[in-house]
Amino acid sequence: MSTVRLESITKHYGQTVAVDGLSLDVADGEFVTLLGPSGCGKTTTLRMVAGLIEPTDGRIFFDDQDVTDIPPRKRNIGFVFQTPALFPHLSVADNIGFGLSVKGISKAAIAARVDEMLAMVGLASYGRRLPAQLSGGQQQRVALARVLATDPRVLLFDEPLSALDKNLRDSLKYSILELQRRTGKTAIYVTHDQSEAFAISDRIVVMNAGRIEQIGTQTDIYLHPRTPYVAEFIGANNGLPGTVTGREGDGDDARILVQAGTRELRCRGRDEFGAGEAVIAYVRPEDIEILDGASDRQFENVLEGTIDRVIFEGPTAQLRVEVDGRELRVDVSGNQRLTLMQRDGRVRLGFDAVTLIAAPVPA
Amino acid sequence: MTASTASSDTSAVRAPGPRSIVGRRRLTSRRMVDVVSHGYIWLCLFVFVTPFLALLAYSFTGPGGTYAIENFQYVLGSFGENLWWSLRISGLSIAIDLAIALPAAYAIVRYPVPGKRLIFSVLSLPLYVPGAVIGLSLVITYNFTYHLTTSMWGLVFGMVVGTFPLMLTPIIVALKDLPIAFEEAAECLGASRWTTFWRIVFPLIGPGVSAGLMLAFIIVFNEYLVTLFVHPSEITTAPLRIFNLVRTAGLLPTTAALAVTMQLISFASVLLFFRVFGTRYFKGTYLI
Repeated sequence: MSTVRLESITKHYGQTVAVDGLSLDVADGEFVTLLGPSGCGKTTTLRMVAGLIEPTDGRIFFDDQDVTDIPPRKRNIGFVFQTPALFPHLSVADNIGFGLSVKGISKAAIAARVDEMLAMVGLASYGRRLPAQLSGGQQQRVALARVLATDPRVLLFDEPLSALDKNLRDSLKYSILELQRRTGKTAIYVTHDQSEAFAISDRIVVMNAGRIEQIGTQTDIYLHPRTPYVAEFIGANNGLPGTVTGREGDGDDARILVQAGTRELRCRGRDEFGAGEAVIAYVRPEDIEILDGASDRQFENVLEGTIDRVIFEGPTAQLRVEVDGRELRVDVSGNQRLTLMQRDGRVRLGFDAVTLIAAPVPA
Repeated sequence: MTASTASSDTSAVRAPGPRSIVGRRRLTSRRMVDVVSHGYIWLCLFVFVTPFLALLAYSFTGPGGTYAIENFQYVLGSFGENLWWSLRISGLSIAIDLAIALPAAYAIVRYPVPGKRLIFSVLSLPLYVPGAVIGLSLVITYNFTYHLTTSMWGLVFGMVVGTFPLMLTPIIVALKDLPIAFEEAAECLGASRWTTFWRIVFPLIGPGVSAGLMLAFIIVFNEYLVTLFVHPSEITTAPLRIFNLVRTAGLLPTTAALAVTMQLISFASVLLFFRVFGTRYFKGTYLI
């Protein structure tokens, strides 16, 4: 167990910059997820932490030890790959014991540890089988047992569930989290799957083009996106580009006024913007309400539009509403999703200022 | 076979009505194709196997056309030494082949060697060069540089030069097919490169290694042309003995028996290969 610190690590492949001056602190026992689309540099970053790739620049620390120039075999890490990568010619028990046997530990001690690990991942009677005789999920659990057997300082996961089917993914991600909690190991987990990241992380690092866009908890990332990239990458979002015209109120009542086309929108005022700054104001589809006249609730922002399409998705229905030539997505649930099915034409949309987040347009 | 059963099923369903005639006609034409294609395969087999059968029959003829197992006893008595030389030369050659090919293949596949393709083409050259040319170049090299013509090692070296690419190519293919994740996993678990190679990589490229061993063994075991050029006077391998005997004494039944023995050894090594590696070992190997 140890902390992990990345100090502006960079990786170049010829002219291509895969990771660009990335710094990150992971606390002891923390579960941090690197989340981003393919090619954003998350796997490269993880492989640099493991020592499988050498950084072009920057340093990597485990606790206060600089491990940048230490080969993977001496870093004492547990790396779980996208494929289980179990040695196909060795039995499950020999796979789990491999890391101990190369360290010259006695056979009896290895056997005891292997049994302990097999019990831990719920595969107690599978020691003698060959990897090919296990299902994909069982193989990945053996891979997990194999890395835990050596008692590593840091657990590293490179999309370990991406090759499995959905049901298995759902159950296995909680197994991973549970094992990490029980062993108290520091973990860095790479995925492109948001629901996976949201389900298991202490903190999420959203990455894009070799850089960190935002680091935060699930609610930080979802409710307070710092950049248009995060707002658009996480979940569905409606972006309304505009210009900051002013600011009013204090504390929770602070509002930022944004002129978007012909309308003035009122955004949550947590962030500092200067007048005239170009921003995109984001509102989530589930935060917008359809106003049917009967409701007496007042909304700070009200837009009028025309229903373009209604997509019934079961528990919710998705509305595509055209507002000033821009299409907004509105998610409705409950009875409203049924009544709206038969309706088209003009609707009024209401949403509160606290749900409208302004993010600066990147230069 | 499945095709013909399938068509007979459909014709049975269509039995009543005028359509059945069409069905039956289609069935007969299918059967014709079956008969012709099977016949063709058997004909080919017959053509290819006939010379060997003729040799086998001839190896059993005694003086005056009688049946004689003595020919084979004679092989072990008189040609025993030649067979033993052949086996020793083959064994040494493939051992050296393997010792060179394993690190070479690993370097070519796993490291960014500049001019990889050129190196590989040059290394495969002996496959495309006639045996006589290899033999001649070896003779010249030995005479002017190393004077290896008087020892067994000159012969072994010649065989290694000729068969090295046969060992290298299947190992390269096996290594390329082996996902690098296995090596990375072993390294992350604390294994050194040496341990990783012998405990993980080598067993997993077993099929490639054994294919190389088999190919190189059969070629060296049966090689006579290069041997003719570089063999020291006291060493006569089995193929060379057959060649010499046929040249000086014509084809004797005892010589035929030696030839059949050699064939059986080659055949047995191929069978062994397919028995051990061709089936069971391939399955369950890298299944990820």
